[in-house]
Amino acid sequence: MRRVPILFRLALRNVFRNRRRSMYALATVAMGAMGLFVFMGFNRGLMNQYRANTIRARWGHGQLYVRGYRGVAHVRPWEKWIQKPEPVMERLRALPGVVDLFPRLTISAMVMAGGGAVAGQGEGIDGIAEARFFDQLNFTEGGNFENRADGIVLGQGLAQGLGVHVKDEVLLVARDRTMTIRSARVIVTGVFHTGSQEFDSRAFRLPIKIAQRLLGTDRVESISVALSGVELWPAFAMAAAAALPELEAVPFDELDKVYYRHAVDWLDAQFSFIRSIILLVVFLGIFNVISMTVMERTAEIGTLRASGDSRLEIALGHILEAIALGVLGGFIGLLAGCALSAGPLREGVAMPPAPGITRSFRIFIELGLRDALQVLLLCALTAAAGCLLPVWRATRIPIADALRHV
Amino acid sequence: MTLYEVRGVSYRYNLDRHGVQALCGVDLNVRKGEFMAISGPSGSGKTTLLNILGLLERPCEGTVRLDGAEVSGMSERERTRLRRERIGFIFQTFNLIPVLTSYENVEYFLLRRTMPGVEVRRRVLQALEAVGISAQADQRPNGMSGGQRQRVAIARALVRDADVILADEPTAALDQATGLAVMDLMRRLNHERGVTFVFSTHDPRILAAADRVVQLTDGRVIK
Repeated sequence: MRRVPILFRLALRNVFRNRRRSMYALATVAMGAMGLFVFMGFNRGLMNQYRANTIRARWGHGQLYVRGYRGVAHVRPWEKWIQKPEPVMERLRALPGVVDLFPRLTISAMVMAGGGAVAGQGEGIDGIAEARFFDQLNFTEGGNFENRADGIVLGQGLAQGLGVHVKDEVLLVARDRTMTIRSARVIVTGVFHTGSQEFDSRAFRLPIKIAQRLLGTDRVESISVALSGVELWPAFAMAAAAALPELEAVPFDELDKVYYRHAVDWLDAQFSFIRSIILLVVFLGIFNVISMTVMERTAEIGTLRASGDSRLEIALGHILEAIALGVLGGFIGLLAGCALSAGPLREGVAMPPAPGITRSFRIFIELGLRDALQVLLLCALTAAAGCLLPVWRATRIPIADALRHV
Repeated sequence: MTLYEVRGVSYRYNLDRHGVQALCGVDLNVRKGEFMAISGPSGSGKTTLLNILGLLERPCEGTVRLDGAEVSGMSERERTRLRRERIGFIFQTFNLIPVLTSYENVEYFLLRRTMPGVEVRRRVLQALEAVGISAQADQRPNGMSGGQRQRVAIARALVRDADVILADEPTAALDQATGLAVMDLMRRLNHERGVTFVFSTHDPRILAAADRVVQLTDGRVIK
């Protein structure tokens, strides 16, 4: 243990012993670290934007349903809708983190205008409340119906299919729970797009009162929840389960499993692959440098072994040197990553529309301290791994042969 | 008092599938406190004999006893410990660590001992002083002359209180005057401290300083 400080000193000085070679190693590690760091920031920015978009375009932080309703086909679904939603919402408002609540009622209806008809899937919503939170719904024409009692907003594809615009009248025709056909005339106040072409070609939103009237019920299907932070969901879900055991709280990533969860998993897998390639480059760079270093210092290794240093101590000295290279190169890479994201990438990266999405967007590089520490650790570990084979070989050379080495 | 007892030691190198007999049935005693030279032409086996005495190589045949203990059959770990505690080395090309100062080169091999930091410092400075190089304590080897470097190498071997210092052609890389000065230093340390020195050389003026000269030819002791 007493030799550790001098071994560290020796390792640090050895880093700069052959400056040109060390510069090459440092540049390799720094480029790798910068790539990893910025890519992690890019990935985080992408995930966060995607998450915010998912939450604020459609789902909220999660939704509440009557337990046993979701994910199961029901002959009479209205029997599983939430009864007397107002008192339920009063109790929910008292739970931790709750900012807003949005009762919703899904409705299937024929949307008719100008002699044309398209089957649509709509949601009855509280227009004023939803306008406050769901700000990621992009309007290409007009806007929310807010407190207009006969307003409707249509998905872009649906509006194009019907050939309607803002201020046009459309007729909704639906069957209520007794299979009686009911209809309502509403005025288009806005045309929106969420980015999902499939969703936008059949979606509409209208005041929940109209939806309830068309379906002949005073119940709501679900209550969306807006929290003050996404991290509060577990605490809220526990409190909701205790206060209202008949309801089931489902987070947004479960509701949007196919798009959100799978996209996150897909991006994570892609990131792991790219990270492996970057680390392999760092590994090879360090391997190359340490191999040359060890060859150059064979006689020195022989001297140390002759003077009583064990193989482990020789190896430790070189591993420390490689770790020093890894950490130093990693640190330079982190600084370069910070400079890159604060400079040329300050305005984010323009991205084309993703598969199934109709609009392009910008991803901002969101660098994090945890990512930085992870990058440093990865660089140190990869550098240490990269030196193991050459160092192991060096310590196996017979001492007399090592001393003869020129 | 005998320090080394070498009996019937042979050593064979395998070079490109051809065996080269480096040592052949060598018998040799080295007394404690002796200042002994090994002489002989190139390829006579001087370095091989020093390597075997220094526990860097194991003889193919024969035995080597250090203070009565048979060392050729010891484990590598035990031999490493013996090298660390009892044997010092001086090399023709000095073999100092270029990124450490003179002081640190000497200190490096002492830090393993359970010794207070103050004592380590005292001994390192004393060793540097003994070889007349304390003024260069903060210099790195690259900025020093060959003679100065060899003095640091001697201090490095000396500082550990080794029983024996093995020197392979310690003056070969030095000019004549510096070589003689280094030899004088070794001789003085041998007298003052009683350290056993075994060194190889083929310089007759250096040989003249030795208590005893062992002559090797074709791997055999002839005198």
